[in-house]
Amino acid sequence: MSSHVAFDATAAATPPLDVPRHGALGVVQAALTLINNVMAVASAVAIGVAGGVLTWEVIGRYFLGIPSDWQDEFSTFLLIGATFGAASWTQARRGHVAIDALAHVLPPALDRARRLLADLCTLAFTGYFAWKCAELLNEAWQEGQTTPSAWGPPLWIPYGCMTIGMALLSLQVLLQLLGGSRRP
Amino acid sequence: MSTLQIGLMYGGATVLALFSGIPIAFALGGVATMFMMIFMPAASVDTIAQNVYEELASITLLTIPLFILKGAAIGKSRAGKDLYDALHTWLNRVPGGLGVAVVIACGLFAAMAGSSPATCSAIGSSGIPEMRRRGYSPGFAAGLVAAGGTLGILLPPSIVLILYAVASEQSLGRLFLAGLGPGLLLVILFAGYAMLHWRTEHRRATATADAGGARGDILLVESFTFRQKLAALPRVAPFLILLTGVMVALYGGIATPSETAGLGAVMALLLIAAVYGAWRLADVKPIFAGTLGESGMLLMIIGMSLLYSYVMSYLHISQGAAGWIVSLHLSKWLLLIAILILVIMLGFFLPPVSIILMTAPIILPPLRAAGFDLIWFGVVMAVVMEMGLIHPPVGLNIFVINRIAPDIGLGQVIRGTLPFVMLMALGVVILSLAPGIAMWLPDIVYNK
Repeated sequence: MSSHVAFDATAAATPPLDVPRHGALGVVQAALTLINNVMAVASAVAIGVAGGVLTWEVIGRYFLGIPSDWQDEFSTFLLIGATFGAASWTQARRGHVAIDALAHVLPPALDRARRLLADLCTLAFTGYFAWKCAELLNEAWQEGQTTPSAWGPPLWIPYGCMTIGMALLSLQVLLQLLGGSRRP
Repeated sequence: MSTLQIGLMYGGATVLALFSGIPIAFALGGVATMFMMIFMPAASVDTIAQNVYEELASITLLTIPLFILKGAAIGKSRAGKDLYDALHTWLNRVPGGLGVAVVIACGLFAAMAGSSPATCSAIGSSGIPEMRRRGYSPGFAAGLVAAGGTLGILLPPSIVLILYAVASEQSLGRLFLAGLGPGLLLVILFAGYAMLHWRTEHRRATATADAGGARGDILLVESFTFRQKLAALPRVAPFLILLTGVMVALYGGIATPSETAGLGAVMALLLIAAVYGAWRLADVKPIFAGTLGESGMLLMIIGMSLLYSYVMSYLHISQGAAGWIVSLHLSKWLLLIAILILVIMLGFFLPPVSIILMTAPIILPPLRAAGFDLIWFGVVMAVVMEMGLIHPPVGLNIFVINRIAPDIGLGQVIRGTLPFVMLMALGVVILSLAPGIAMWLPDIVYNK
């Protein structure tokens, strides 16, 4: 089971795996890798900022008597943004864990077909989910939806992060699928 | 179509999707979406993105990346080695003190870092070579560290308990407190076994030496001056202050669990910068990269598992399955054993996060109906999941040990962990006979 490695935070920072490196696909992958890296840095910053905001919430409320009203929601947005923002970067490293028990029992040719089918199903779901996120984003933008809290930040912000994250994830899966289908 | 038929199809499709090699998150999300399209009103599927957002926009769940960041920061530093070294110097006069130091270091480190693999890696990288140098058998040394590492999912801030709190709608504060007693129980069981094992190996080495054979390394007596003992403390003290500070902030009414997660992460980063000078980009980058990879993967699984559970509930599959279990009229303890065996078997294939979120709607109602306290059960479930970390086929900690001590064969590591699997099973029995071990602390703090 591939979760052996992926549950170890120290092992999660592996370089990209089985991504196309040559030809037209390699060029698209290089561009996506650049975007993935930018998104990963932004997501890491978001996690760090969320930690800082929640720390400030304690200091502000407990020591300075400043009421907390926006910090939890702001942190939620940051952490949802980080989760979806880093989805494609994680996929490039095959960091989304899967059960690969059949890899050890199937003949190589059949196992290759299984992996391609798995990538195809993954693409079908992530693509569909990205589309549903985009619909949600459009609706939130058109209707000016906000959260129900007193602070009431606009919902297009998290929905936008979800849409971009899932779209990039789908593109990454597609590239791995196309790259994988060309390998012997 | 009956609920039973839909439920069987849902289960079958899930097994097929998971074993095909689709990442767990997308397999669960895909199966849920497919069943929404087929069996639920057409408009339902339009809300999948919103469902996932609403499930994830829980400040309790979002403590997870911050606790992972805290664990990665401490795990990447030399805090584990320093902690182990300090305990070793203070406990060297205790019979089998080296093994006891490893167990206590694992417990303290697990409570600081909240991660089993990180604990194994941090304590094992110095503890295993030292134990082997002092004549302990490699399998025992590996088994002790692997078992000690499992405390990470029982002691706060355990991600498993955070998820259980969400899935079972129980108080996270009570669950964290309930994990402390059983955590201490396991530390005592492991340390007791380490002392007994040392005594056996020591006796055997003494007999060999008395018979004119080689004098085993286990017979060497090491001593430390009081000055050396005091010198070991300064590097460890800040981390122990962090550990207690976080607990005081959480239970002293200063911070909520989410604030505690943020505070703990920031403090851990500041501490490793101050104590180990780890503040440069090269130091911080692997910490954030590790956090991003693990938390992104986990939260994606959590979001999709919650969507999966929502569909299961909407289609009355979970209610039907729970009702069927209740209708079996199993005795209270038989029900518990059956459910724990199910958890162990699922643990062969799925990570704890998915097991909790997928099974909670099915197993918790019958357990509640049978009179079990769900806080107590959460802790027992965590101990059972700990067992899964050190026994095949998954045994995550076995593979971590294999990575940090590659010259110890996998078979030796597995044999070394088996006594600890038994000790954990004994721990479950003791917790069943004396539930107060888990419940006394939350009952006192929350004035039940």
